[in-house]
Amino acid sequence: MEPKEIDWERLNLIIDKNKGEKWGLIPLLQEVQETFGYVPPESIDLIASALGLFPSQVQGVVTFYSGFALKPKGKYVLRVCQGTACYVKGGRSILRMMKKETGLEVNETSPDYQFTLETVACLGACFLAPTMMVNRAYFGKLSPAKVTSVLAQYKKDEVER
Amino acid sequence: MIPCLFQDCLAKGCFLNGHINLSIDGKTVICPPGASVLEAAEENGIKIPTLCHHSGLEPFGACRLCLVEDENTGRLMASCVTPAAPDMAVLTASPRVIKHRRNIVRLMMAEHPESCIVCSKGNRCQLRRIAAQLGIGETGLYPMPNYKAYEQANPFMVRDLSKCVLCGKCIRADHELVVAGAIDYSHRGFESRPATVHELPLELSSCTFCGTCLSMCPTGALAPKNNMFVGTPDREIPTVCGFCGVGCSLSMGVFSDTVVEVNPSRGKNTVNGSTLCVRGHFAHDFLNVSQRLTRPLIRRDGQMSPASWDEALDTAATRFLAVQKESGPSSVAFLGSSKCTNEENYLFQKIARVLLKTNSVDNGGYLSGRSALAPLYKRTNGGDRVRSLAGLEKAEAIVVIGADVTETLPVVSYGLKRAAQKGTPLIVIDPRQTGLSAHASMRLPLKPQTDLELINGLSALLVRKKAQNAIFTDHFTKGFEAFKEALLKLDLEKTGRVTGVTPEALDEAAEYLRGKSVAFVVGGGVLEQRYAALTLDALFNLCLMTGSLGHAGAGLYVLAQENNQAGAWDMGTVPDALPGRQPLNDSLAREKFERAWQASISPDRGLDLIRMIEEAEKGNLKALYVMGENPLRALPQPDRVKRALEKLDFIVVQDILKTETTEIADVVLPGAAFSEKGGSFTNLEGRIQFFNPAVPPPGEAKPDWEILDLLARKMGSPRRFGSLERLRGEIAGLVPMYAGINEGSGAVWVVEASDKELFKNEGGARVSFAPVSSIEEEGQSDSYPLTVILGSVRFHLGSGTRTGYSGRVREFHQNGAVELSPQDWTAFGLQAGDSVKLTSAHGSVVRETAKNSALTQGLVFVPEAVHNNDARNLIGLFPLGQPDSPGWKTCPVRLEKL
Repeated sequence: MEPKEIDWERLNLIIDKNKGEKWGLIPLLQEVQETFGYVPPESIDLIASALGLFPSQVQGVVTFYSGFALKPKGKYVLRVCQGTACYVKGGRSILRMMKKETGLEVNETSPDYQFTLETVACLGACFLAPTMMVNRAYFGKLSPAKVTSVLAQYKKDEVER
Repeated sequence: MIPCLFQDCLAKGCFLNGHINLSIDGKTVICPPGASVLEAAEENGIKIPTLCHHSGLEPFGACRLCLVEDENTGRLMASCVTPAAPDMAVLTASPRVIKHRRNIVRLMMAEHPESCIVCSKGNRCQLRRIAAQLGIGETGLYPMPNYKAYEQANPFMVRDLSKCVLCGKCIRADHELVVAGAIDYSHRGFESRPATVHELPLELSSCTFCGTCLSMCPTGALAPKNNMFVGTPDREIPTVCGFCGVGCSLSMGVFSDTVVEVNPSRGKNTVNGSTLCVRGHFAHDFLNVSQRLTRPLIRRDGQMSPASWDEALDTAATRFLAVQKESGPSSVAFLGSSKCTNEENYLFQKIARVLLKTNSVDNGGYLSGRSALAPLYKRTNGGDRVRSLAGLEKAEAIVVIGADVTETLPVVSYGLKRAAQKGTPLIVIDPRQTGLSAHASMRLPLKPQTDLELINGLSALLVRKKAQNAIFTDHFTKGFEAFKEALLKLDLEKTGRVTGVTPEALDEAAEYLRGKSVAFVVGGGVLEQRYAALTLDALFNLCLMTGSLGHAGAGLYVLAQENNQAGAWDMGTVPDALPGRQPLNDSLAREKFERAWQASISPDRGLDLIRMIEEAEKGNLKALYVMGENPLRALPQPDRVKRALEKLDFIVVQDILKTETTEIADVVLPGAAFSEKGGSFTNLEGRIQFFNPAVPPPGEAKPDWEILDLLARKMGSPRRFGSLERLRGEIAGLVPMYAGINEGSGAVWVVEASDKELFKNEGGARVSFAPVSSIEEEGQSDSYPLTVILGSVRFHLGSGTRTGYSGRVREFHQNGAVELSPQDWTAFGLQAGDSVKLTSAHGSVVRETAKNSALTQGLVFVPEAVHNNDARNLIGLFPLGQPDSPGWKTCPVRLEKL
């Protein structure tokens, strides 16, 4: 499956909202990221000229923050915590298992754009270690069984059913 | 800043200027408010090592090498971003500071490739220098080379980011000084690097290859490419750039009598600061090409053969004198050079006027619209001459009219972009979208050659809005009421029709200018067009009306294409004026020179450049002396010019390079490039800049002033000048505006001596308004339905004789594709890579094509200077700046797809 065509109209709406306001770059990018699942590289020039910035500056911000991506991510972004607490509690095994289950390496996206696998340094929920996030949902006290069941919830056919 | 009144300011603290006392390394020092600790130290001779600091850039605090220790708190602070505060006490080299500094450098070096031996930065690498000073050889750390992409696809520079220390100087120079925005930091942590948008190679980014970053890079991460020399030059010699009229200060890197590198000079208060353009940085390759002329040549039996200086000068002198004796002074003419020095131009016209009794003297400045400027100069009576480019950044509003500055005079464009970045309203008036448009508050896309109508329309609108500066007009001008009446009678609907600019746009522009004193930047689009003189008059009227004169950051900034265009005119290398721009028909001025030169001077104006060609065609002109110009490439209708000059009995060409013109010469005299001689150039600001030779001339070539000095002797001059000092002495005595030329080093300013009150301290005459003129709408002829606009590209200067000899420039910009609007592109059924033939009433060119989506339908842009400057085939050899001449900037053409 190909990533969706960029909805230029929507993109322009988001950009117009922040026109001329240099400080609005990050909220703007967040909205673009949220809406499209990534910041389309084609949008960099448009954003830059609307905010009176150089395109290279916009790219600099996009590439600096891990919250922004220049490539489309999957519908569900799986973030497995590798922070100290989770690491000690077996986070490494959880990651290994996630890799096996999804068939993805870290920072890879499945060809059907269903999943993107990422690691994160801490989710701030150490009492639930080992933890992970799927988009905005937290999952704690993970075990192999729980990982399987969590993933099952988001597997394509299940979701569509 | 007010000078301190207290002698014991150090002890008591200075209350007058808010001076700050602090202690650095136990020594009490004083610094102005707002200074950083680093600046305070530097001002007091205390050296702190830095990598990311540059005086021309905002402080950044990236490299952390400038750490100092606060004696009171023990804190370590980066001194470049720490403001000096009263009673502060810092140590710049305490054991803790040294330990940290060493560690920072060790870490940088652990990440740095060990390629010093082949690195072009050589001994100038600041990282290596600082490591040496801190005694770091082996780092004792595990090497972690940070391999990154090596980029060298473009012909100008190599980017080896594995040597990058992330000081950000390149990025900051790009954003703050050049305002190109080609690069910024990308990614973070170990991955962090300066990158272009979408990580494209530089040539596909907005990089202009000005090389400013390259000169600033503290390591070898950015290096020039295709240099025949890699390493550290023997010495660096300050000089002045010989390309455009900005007159940038250069530092020429010399190795064994060859110029191997060019960088911006590190001097203070230079025109260009730390910036340069692609020509200044890279196109000086022409200095070392094999096509340099190295020995005198004489045509014998149709063949050019080497000759001794004596023989060549004898031939030149005797033949010229013979022609002049036989056919009179009107049969000889002298074409001087807007690229040669003031001293040379002075001597050149003196030879013509004194020894050959002719006023037929001109220079290449004619090509850039000098004749249109002359009436304006008369109007101000020589006032308003000195105008510092730095003032542009202080302007209240800027109008750029007919000037594609990002291409023609890039260093001026940096200042304009910086001003726009700070919020100064910038209006671009141009038929084409130029590099400046993106930075402008607005662009008025007018039809070609309708600037006059637009400016009058703008003036009329301002008058209707009662936005004139009444105090100014009452005090300094005369005839404002009549001018106002004429403006009020203007039909603004007609203005809209003629110019193609909507009334709303015109109104918006007028609002930007309301109540402001405005800086007008005027370029070739006005100076070389049909209504050049009238447009300049209208612009000057607008200046007067808005009170935009008499102070910095306002008035007419007339751009000069050639480095010494202003100086050649000042030195009298023109057919109608003596040195100091003193009119030939002014008998007092003439008598002064007649006395000094002990010769009689004819009051009749001589032939200008175009008339020289016409008279050669008619057979009336028989001998021509050309110094440092290439009319066969620079003039319109080159074939016609060639035929005309071939008719001459005798032609001497004094030049540095083999050109189209040296090919038809009878005697060729090898001159010296600016880097090989001493002299002075006057830039477009009116700044007279001196320079000394960096290297000797190649082979037997001689500095041009020496050649002229020898020639004058052979032509019967009683004595030689023998030295630049004596030459300058004579100029200083006879030309009041060049009274400072005796200085001989650094820079001095042209002295203005206008009788107008506006340009004097008190008293004096008022400046009058010029009559308001109007132009009619022009239709396109059926046989030539498109309009060609000729323009420059930043890689070349003028006709491209010198820049065309740079291999790097040729490699980068060679196809010179003509640009068409998307509508015309479709209408002619063009595909990428197609070639077209453009034909005008005068000639034709064949070029590749490119689609320019910003171009207005019906316009075709043809870049000049490439392909032996064949673009000149299209325009007719009409005199420039005359009321009935169609100008050289545009012409009607038809297009055939090939």
